[in-house]
Amino acid sequence: MTIDELIDSLPAYAKDLKLNYSSLVRQQTELSQQQLWGTLVASAMVSRNLELIRAVLAEAATQISPTALEAAKAAAAVMGMNNIYYRFLHLSSNEKYRAIPAKLRMNVMRSHGVDQTDFELWSTAASAINGCGACVDSHEKVLRNHGFTEEQILMSVRIASIVHAIATVLDTESIAAADTVTA
Amino acid sequence: MLGVGQKFPDYSLTATVSLDMKNAFKTITNNDYAGKWKVYFFWPKDFTFVCPTEIAAFGKINKEFLDRDAQILGGSTDSEFVHHAWRTHHEDLKNLPFPMLADVKRELTSALDILDPDAGVAQRATYIVDPDGIIRFAYVTDLSVGRNPQEVLRVLDALQTDELCPCNWQKGEETLVVA
Repeated sequence: MTIDELIDSLPAYAKDLKLNYSSLVRQQTELSQQQLWGTLVASAMVSRNLELIRAVLAEAATQISPTALEAAKAAAAVMGMNNIYYRFLHLSSNEKYRAIPAKLRMNVMRSHGVDQTDFELWSTAASAINGCGACVDSHEKVLRNHGFTEEQILMSVRIASIVHAIATVLDTESIAAADTVTA
Repeated sequence: MLGVGQKFPDYSLTATVSLDMKNAFKTITNNDYAGKWKVYFFWPKDFTFVCPTEIAAFGKINKEFLDRDAQILGGSTDSEFVHHAWRTHHEDLKNLPFPMLADVKRELTSALDILDPDAGVAQRATYIVDPDGIIRFAYVTDLSVGRNPQEVLRVLDALQTDELCPCNWQKGEETLVVA
Protein backbone atom coordinates (compact mmCIF):
# COMPACT_ATOMS: atom_id res chain seq x y z
CA MET A 1 0.00 0.00 0.00
CA THR A 2 1.14 3.56 -0.57
CA ILE A 3 1.54 5.74 2.45
CA ASP A 4 -1.70 7.57 1.65
CA GLU A 5 -3.53 4.26 1.42
CA LEU A 6 -2.06 3.15 4.73
CA ILE A 7 -3.17 6.37 6.43
CA ASP A 8 -6.66 5.98 4.96
CA SER A 9 -6.80 2.44 6.26
CA LEU A 10 -6.24 3.45 9.88
CA PRO A 11 -9.12 2.22 12.07
CA ALA A 12 -11.67 4.48 13.74
CA TYR A 13 -9.97 4.35 17.12
CA ALA A 14 -6.90 5.95 15.52
CA LYS A 15 -8.73 8.74 13.77
CA ASP A 16 -6.72 11.37 15.67
CA LEU A 17 -3.53 9.99 14.17
CA LYS A 18 -5.01 9.99 10.70
CA LEU A 19 -6.05 13.62 11.00
CA ASN A 20 -2.80 14.65 12.67
CA TYR A 21 -0.83 13.09 9.83
CA SER A 22 -3.00 14.87 7.33
CA SER A 23 -2.83 18.33 8.85
CA LEU A 24 0.76 18.24 10.07
CA VAL A 25 2.59 16.23 7.48
CA ARG A 26 0.68 17.30 4.41
CA GLN A 27 0.31 20.94 5.35
CA GLN A 28 3.34 21.84 7.42
CA THR A 29 5.50 24.77 6.36
CA GLU A 30 8.33 24.79 8.88
CA LEU A 31 10.44 22.12 7.25
CA SER A 32 11.83 21.77 3.71
CA GLN A 33 10.83 18.77 1.59
CA GLN A 34 14.13 17.11 2.36
CA GLN A 35 13.86 17.78 6.10
CA LEU A 36 10.26 16.50 6.15
CA TRP A 37 10.86 13.31 4.22
CA GLY A 38 14.11 12.53 5.96
CA THR A 39 12.28 12.85 9.27
CA LEU A 40 9.54 10.53 8.01
CA VAL A 41 12.10 7.97 6.83
CA ALA A 42 14.17 7.98 10.02
CA SER A 43 11.04 7.93 12.20
CA ALA A 44 9.46 5.05 10.28
CA MET A 45 12.66 3.02 10.44
CA VAL A 46 13.02 3.28 14.21
CA SER A 47 9.29 2.64 14.70
CA ARG A 48 9.75 -0.82 13.23
CA ASN A 49 6.51 -1.50 11.33
CA LEU A 50 7.54 -3.10 8.05
CA GLU A 51 4.54 -1.99 6.02
CA LEU A 52 4.98 1.60 7.09
CA ILE A 53 8.71 1.54 6.39
CA ARG A 54 8.10 0.11 2.94
CA ALA A 55 5.49 2.75 2.10
CA VAL A 56 7.51 5.65 3.47
CA LEU A 57 10.69 4.60 1.67
CA ALA A 58 8.81 4.24 -1.62
CA GLU A 59 7.25 7.67 -1.34
CA ALA A 60 10.44 9.32 -0.06
CA ALA A 61 12.30 8.07 -3.12
CA THR A 62 10.02 10.25 -5.24
CA GLN A 63 10.38 13.29 -2.99
CA ILE A 64 14.08 13.60 -2.14
CA SER A 65 17.41 12.78 -3.77
CA PRO A 66 18.99 9.32 -3.44
CA THR A 67 21.78 10.84 -1.35
CA ALA A 68 19.28 12.39 1.06
CA LEU A 69 17.35 9.13 1.30
CA GLU A 70 20.51 7.17 2.09
CA ALA A 71 21.50 9.81 4.64
CA ALA A 72 18.14 9.62 6.44
CA LYS A 73 18.44 5.84 6.60
CA ALA A 74 21.98 6.25 7.90
CA ALA A 75 20.72 8.58 10.64
CA ALA A 76 18.21 5.93 11.79
CA ALA A 77 20.90 3.25 11.58
CA VAL A 78 23.57 5.04 13.57
CA MET A 79 21.12 6.45 16.13
CA GLY A 80 19.74 2.94 16.67
CA MET A 81 23.19 2.18 18.06
CA ASN A 82 24.04 5.48 19.76
CA ASN A 83 20.66 5.85 21.44
CA ILE A 84 21.27 2.62 23.33
CA TYR A 85 24.93 3.14 24.12
CA TYR A 86 24.77 6.76 25.22
CA ARG A 87 21.48 6.32 27.04
CA PHE A 88 23.26 3.67 29.13
CA LEU A 89 26.15 6.01 29.81
CA HIS A 90 23.85 8.76 30.98
CA LEU A 91 21.59 6.51 33.01
CA SER A 92 24.46 4.92 34.87
CA SER A 93 25.73 6.85 37.85
CA ASN A 94 29.18 5.34 37.22
CA GLU A 95 31.05 8.25 35.65
CA LYS A 96 33.95 6.04 34.59
CA TYR A 97 32.05 4.76 31.55
CA ARG A 98 32.21 8.18 29.92
CA ALA A 99 35.99 8.17 30.02
CA ILE A 100 36.35 4.76 28.41
CA PRO A 101 36.52 4.80 24.58
CA ALA A 102 33.25 3.72 23.02
CA LYS A 103 35.00 1.82 20.20
CA LEU A 104 31.91 2.24 18.06
CA ARG A 105 32.31 3.43 14.47
CA MET A 106 29.93 6.22 13.54
CA ASN A 107 31.78 7.65 10.57
CA VAL A 108 28.60 8.10 8.53
CA MET A 109 27.91 11.12 10.74
CA ARG A 110 30.67 12.83 8.74
CA SER A 111 30.28 11.20 5.35
CA HIS A 112 26.53 11.22 4.68
CA GLY A 113 26.78 13.96 2.07
CA VAL A 114 23.82 16.17 3.05
CA ASP A 115 23.56 19.33 5.16
CA GLN A 116 24.82 18.45 8.61
CA THR A 117 21.83 20.21 10.16
CA ASP A 118 19.35 18.04 8.25
CA PHE A 119 21.20 14.94 9.43
CA GLU A 120 21.09 16.28 12.97
CA LEU A 121 17.36 16.90 12.64
CA TRP A 122 16.72 13.31 11.59
CA SER A 123 18.98 12.05 14.37
CA THR A 124 16.98 14.09 16.87
CA ALA A 125 13.71 12.59 15.64
CA ALA A 126 15.12 9.07 15.92
CA SER A 127 16.46 9.84 19.41
CA ALA A 128 13.08 11.15 20.51
CA ILE A 129 11.47 7.87 19.49
CA ASN A 130 14.22 5.67 20.88
CA GLY A 131 14.06 7.60 24.11
CA CYS A 132 17.64 8.68 24.72
CA GLY A 133 17.32 11.83 26.81
CA ALA A 134 20.94 12.88 26.59
CA CYS A 135 20.93 12.43 22.82
CA VAL A 136 17.79 14.55 22.50
CA ASP A 137 19.31 17.25 24.66
CA SER A 138 22.64 17.46 22.85
CA HIS A 139 21.19 17.25 19.34
CA GLU A 140 18.60 19.88 20.17
CA LYS A 141 21.37 22.24 21.29
CA VAL A 142 23.35 21.62 18.11
CA LEU A 143 20.28 22.38 16.00
CA ARG A 144 19.61 25.66 17.76
CA ASN A 145 23.28 26.64 17.51
CA HIS A 146 22.91 26.19 13.77
CA GLY A 147 19.94 28.50 13.56
CA PHE A 148 16.99 26.11 13.79
CA THR A 149 13.96 27.49 15.58
CA GLU A 150 12.04 25.73 18.33
CA GLU A 151 9.11 25.57 15.93
CA GLN A 152 11.12 23.67 13.36
CA ILE A 153 12.53 21.25 15.91
CA LEU A 154 9.12 20.66 17.42
CA MET A 155 7.60 20.01 13.99
CA SER A 156 10.03 17.17 13.36
CA VAL A 157 9.27 15.77 16.81
CA ARG A 158 5.53 15.97 16.13
CA ILE A 159 6.12 14.02 12.93
CA ALA A 160 8.20 11.44 14.79
CA SER A 161 5.43 11.10 17.39
CA ILE A 162 2.74 10.56 14.79
CA VAL A 163 4.79 8.11 12.78
CA HIS A 164 5.56 6.09 15.89
CA ALA A 165 1.91 5.99 16.86
CA ILE A 166 0.83 4.95 13.37
CA ALA A 167 3.39 2.14 13.42
CA THR A 168 1.96 0.89 16.71
CA VAL A 169 -1.57 0.81 15.27
CA LEU A 170 -0.46 -0.89 12.07
CA ASP A 171 1.29 -3.59 14.13
CA THR A 172 -1.96 -4.33 15.92
CA GLU A 173 -4.06 -4.16 12.78
CA SER A 174 -1.76 -6.61 11.05
CA ILE A 175 -2.71 -9.26 13.62
CA ALA A 176 -6.35 -8.89 12.66
CA ALA A 177 -5.47 -9.09 8.99
CA ALA A 178 -3.34 -12.21 9.52
CA ASP A 179 -6.07 -13.88 11.60
CA THR A 180 -8.60 -13.19 8.86
CA VAL A 181 -6.40 -14.92 6.32
CA THR A 182 -5.74 -18.04 8.39
CA ALA A 183 -9.26 -18.36 9.85
CA MET B 1 62.90 3.38 10.88
CA LEU B 2 60.35 6.04 10.04
CA GLY B 3 57.64 6.32 12.65
CA VAL B 4 54.21 7.62 13.50
CA GLY B 5 53.55 11.18 12.40
CA GLN B 6 56.08 11.15 9.58
CA LYS B 7 55.20 11.27 5.91
CA PHE B 8 55.47 7.95 4.08
CA PRO B 9 58.19 8.34 1.42
CA ASP B 10 57.41 8.95 -2.25
CA TYR B 11 58.08 5.91 -4.39
CA SER B 12 57.53 4.45 -7.82
CA LEU B 13 58.03 0.69 -8.00
CA THR B 14 57.17 -2.24 -10.23
CA ALA B 15 54.74 -4.58 -8.56
CA THR B 16 53.57 -8.10 -9.29
CA VAL B 17 49.81 -8.00 -9.45
CA SER B 18 48.79 -11.26 -11.09
CA LEU B 19 50.08 -14.58 -12.42
CA ASP B 20 48.98 -13.91 -15.99
CA MET B 21 52.23 -12.95 -17.77
CA LYS B 22 50.37 -10.49 -20.01
CA ASN B 23 49.43 -8.23 -17.11
CA ALA B 24 51.53 -9.48 -14.22
CA PHE B 25 53.48 -6.29 -13.65
CA LYS B 26 52.36 -2.75 -12.95
CA THR B 27 54.05 0.42 -11.73
CA ILE B 28 52.67 1.58 -8.42
CA THR B 29 53.46 4.92 -6.79
CA ASN B 30 52.60 6.60 -3.51
CA ASN B 31 49.94 8.57 -5.42
CA ASP B 32 47.92 5.50 -6.30
CA TYR B 33 44.86 4.50 -4.25
CA ALA B 34 44.16 8.17 -3.54
CA GLY B 35 41.79 8.74 -0.65
CA LYS B 36 42.43 5.29 0.79
CA TRP B 37 44.34 4.11 3.81
CA LYS B 38 47.32 1.92 2.98
CA VAL B 39 48.79 -1.04 4.81
CA TYR B 40 52.36 -1.71 3.70
CA PHE B 41 54.09 -4.78 4.96
CA PHE B 42 57.60 -5.89 4.09
CA TRP B 43 59.35 -9.20 4.44
CA PRO B 44 63.01 -10.19 4.08
CA LYS B 45 63.01 -12.68 1.21
CA ASP B 46 60.70 -14.53 -1.10
CA PHE B 47 60.90 -18.33 -1.06
CA THR B 48 61.49 -18.54 2.72
CA PHE B 49 59.35 -20.15 5.41
CA VAL B 50 57.78 -17.59 7.71
CA CYS B 51 56.72 -15.19 4.98
CA PRO B 52 54.09 -17.23 3.09
CA THR B 53 51.98 -17.85 6.18
CA GLU B 54 51.93 -14.16 7.02
CA ILE B 55 51.28 -13.05 3.46
CA ALA B 56 48.51 -15.58 2.97
CA ALA B 57 47.02 -14.52 6.32
CA PHE B 58 46.82 -10.92 5.11
CA GLY B 59 45.31 -12.20 1.89
CA LYS B 60 42.59 -14.09 3.75
CA ILE B 61 41.38 -10.92 5.48
CA ASN B 62 41.91 -8.61 2.48
CA LYS B 63 38.15 -7.98 2.29
CA GLU B 64 38.12 -6.68 5.85
CA PHE B 65 40.78 -4.15 4.88
CA LEU B 66 38.96 -3.19 1.67
CA ASP B 67 35.75 -2.67 3.68
CA ARG B 68 37.67 -0.18 5.78
CA ASP B 69 38.91 1.67 2.66
CA ALA B 70 42.40 0.26 3.12
CA GLN B 71 44.66 -1.16 0.40
CA ILE B 72 47.23 -3.78 1.39
CA LEU B 73 50.58 -3.60 -0.39
CA GLY B 74 53.20 -6.24 0.31
CA GLY B 75 56.87 -5.88 -0.57
CA SER B 76 60.44 -7.10 -0.38
CA THR B 77 63.71 -6.31 -2.12
CA ASP B 78 63.17 -9.22 -4.52
CA SER B 79 62.44 -8.45 -8.18
CA GLU B 80 59.00 -8.63 -9.72
CA PHE B 81 60.04 -11.83 -11.51
CA VAL B 82 61.01 -13.52 -8.25
CA HIS B 83 57.62 -12.46 -6.81
CA HIS B 84 55.93 -13.93 -9.85
CA ALA B 85 57.84 -17.21 -9.63
CA TRP B 86 57.11 -17.52 -5.92
CA ARG B 87 53.41 -16.88 -6.38
CA THR B 88 53.28 -19.35 -9.25
CA HIS B 89 54.84 -22.13 -7.22
CA HIS B 90 53.31 -21.57 -3.82
CA GLU B 91 49.78 -22.83 -3.34
CA ASP B 92 48.90 -20.26 -0.67
CA LEU B 93 50.08 -17.32 -2.78
CA LYS B 94 48.60 -18.14 -6.18
CA ASN B 95 45.46 -16.06 -5.71
CA LEU B 96 46.91 -13.30 -3.60
CA PRO B 97 44.48 -10.39 -3.85
CA PHE B 98 46.99 -7.55 -3.36
CA PRO B 99 50.18 -6.36 -5.12
CA MET B 100 53.72 -7.33 -4.18
CA LEU B 101 56.09 -4.37 -4.54
CA ALA B 102 59.59 -5.10 -5.87
CA ASP B 103 62.01 -2.71 -4.17
CA VAL B 104 65.01 -4.01 -6.10
CA LYS B 105 67.07 -0.81 -5.78
CA ARG B 106 66.24 -0.67 -2.06
CA GLU B 107 64.96 2.90 -2.50
CA LEU B 108 61.77 2.62 -0.45
CA THR B 109 63.19 0.29 2.19
CA SER B 110 66.15 2.69 2.62
CA ALA B 111 63.92 5.73 2.84
CA LEU B 112 61.93 3.90 5.51
CA ASP B 113 65.19 2.75 7.12
CA ILE B 114 63.95 -0.81 7.55
CA LEU B 115 66.87 -2.65 5.92
CA ASP B 116 68.43 -5.11 8.31
CA PRO B 117 72.07 -4.01 8.76
CA ASP B 118 73.40 -7.59 8.72
CA ALA B 119 71.17 -9.24 6.14
CA GLY B 120 70.76 -6.25 3.82
CA VAL B 121 67.12 -7.11 3.19
CA ALA B 122 63.92 -5.64 4.59
CA GLN B 123 62.96 -6.41 8.15
CA ARG B 124 59.41 -7.48 8.86
CA ALA B 125 57.99 -4.00 9.05
CA THR B 126 54.32 -3.05 8.76
CA TYR B 127 53.02 0.46 8.26
CA ILE B 128 49.50 1.87 8.33
CA VAL B 129 49.38 5.11 6.34
CA ASP B 130 46.35 7.41 6.34
CA PRO B 131 44.78 8.99 3.21
CA ASP B 132 46.98 12.08 3.75
CA GLY B 133 50.13 9.97 3.50
CA ILE B 134 51.02 10.15 7.18
CA ILE B 135 52.27 7.08 9.06
CA ARG B 136 49.84 6.23 11.84
CA PHE B 137 51.22 2.85 12.96
CA ALA B 138 54.63 1.21 12.66
CA TYR B 139 55.26 -2.38 13.71
CA VAL B 140 58.43 -4.41 13.14
CA THR B 141 59.56 -7.84 14.30
CA ASP B 142 62.90 -9.59 14.06
CA LEU B 143 63.61 -11.66 10.95
CA SER B 144 62.46 -15.01 12.30
CA VAL B 145 59.15 -14.02 13.88
CA GLY B 146 55.91 -13.68 11.91
CA ARG B 147 53.37 -10.91 12.39
CA ASN B 148 49.70 -10.94 13.31
CA PRO B 149 47.47 -9.42 10.59
CA GLN B 150 44.47 -9.39 12.96
CA GLU B 151 46.40 -7.01 15.18
CA VAL B 152 46.99 -4.70 12.21
CA LEU B 153 43.26 -4.78 11.47
CA ARG B 154 42.47 -4.03 15.11
CA VAL B 155 44.71 -0.98 15.03
CA LEU B 156 43.24 0.22 11.72
CA ASP B 157 39.77 -0.01 13.30
CA ALA B 158 40.90 1.96 16.32
CA LEU B 159 42.51 4.63 14.14
CA GLN B 160 39.30 5.00 12.14
CA THR B 161 36.87 5.08 15.05
CA ASP B 162 36.07 8.46 16.54
CA GLU B 163 33.23 9.36 18.85
CA LEU B 164 31.56 11.98 16.74
CA CYS B 165 28.36 12.48 18.76
CA PRO B 166 27.39 15.88 20.07
CA CYS B 167 26.88 14.36 23.52
CA ASN B 168 30.62 13.76 23.68
CA TRP B 169 31.41 17.33 22.88
CA GLN B 170 33.44 18.90 25.64
CA LYS B 171 33.15 22.59 26.22
CA GLY B 172 35.79 24.45 24.23
CA GLU B 173 36.32 21.76 21.59
CA GLU B 174 35.49 22.36 17.94
CA THR B 175 32.02 21.34 16.91
CA LEU B 176 31.38 18.82 14.20
CA VAL B 177 31.90 20.30 10.77
CA VAL B 178 31.19 18.42 7.57
CA ALA B 179 34.41 17.95 5.61
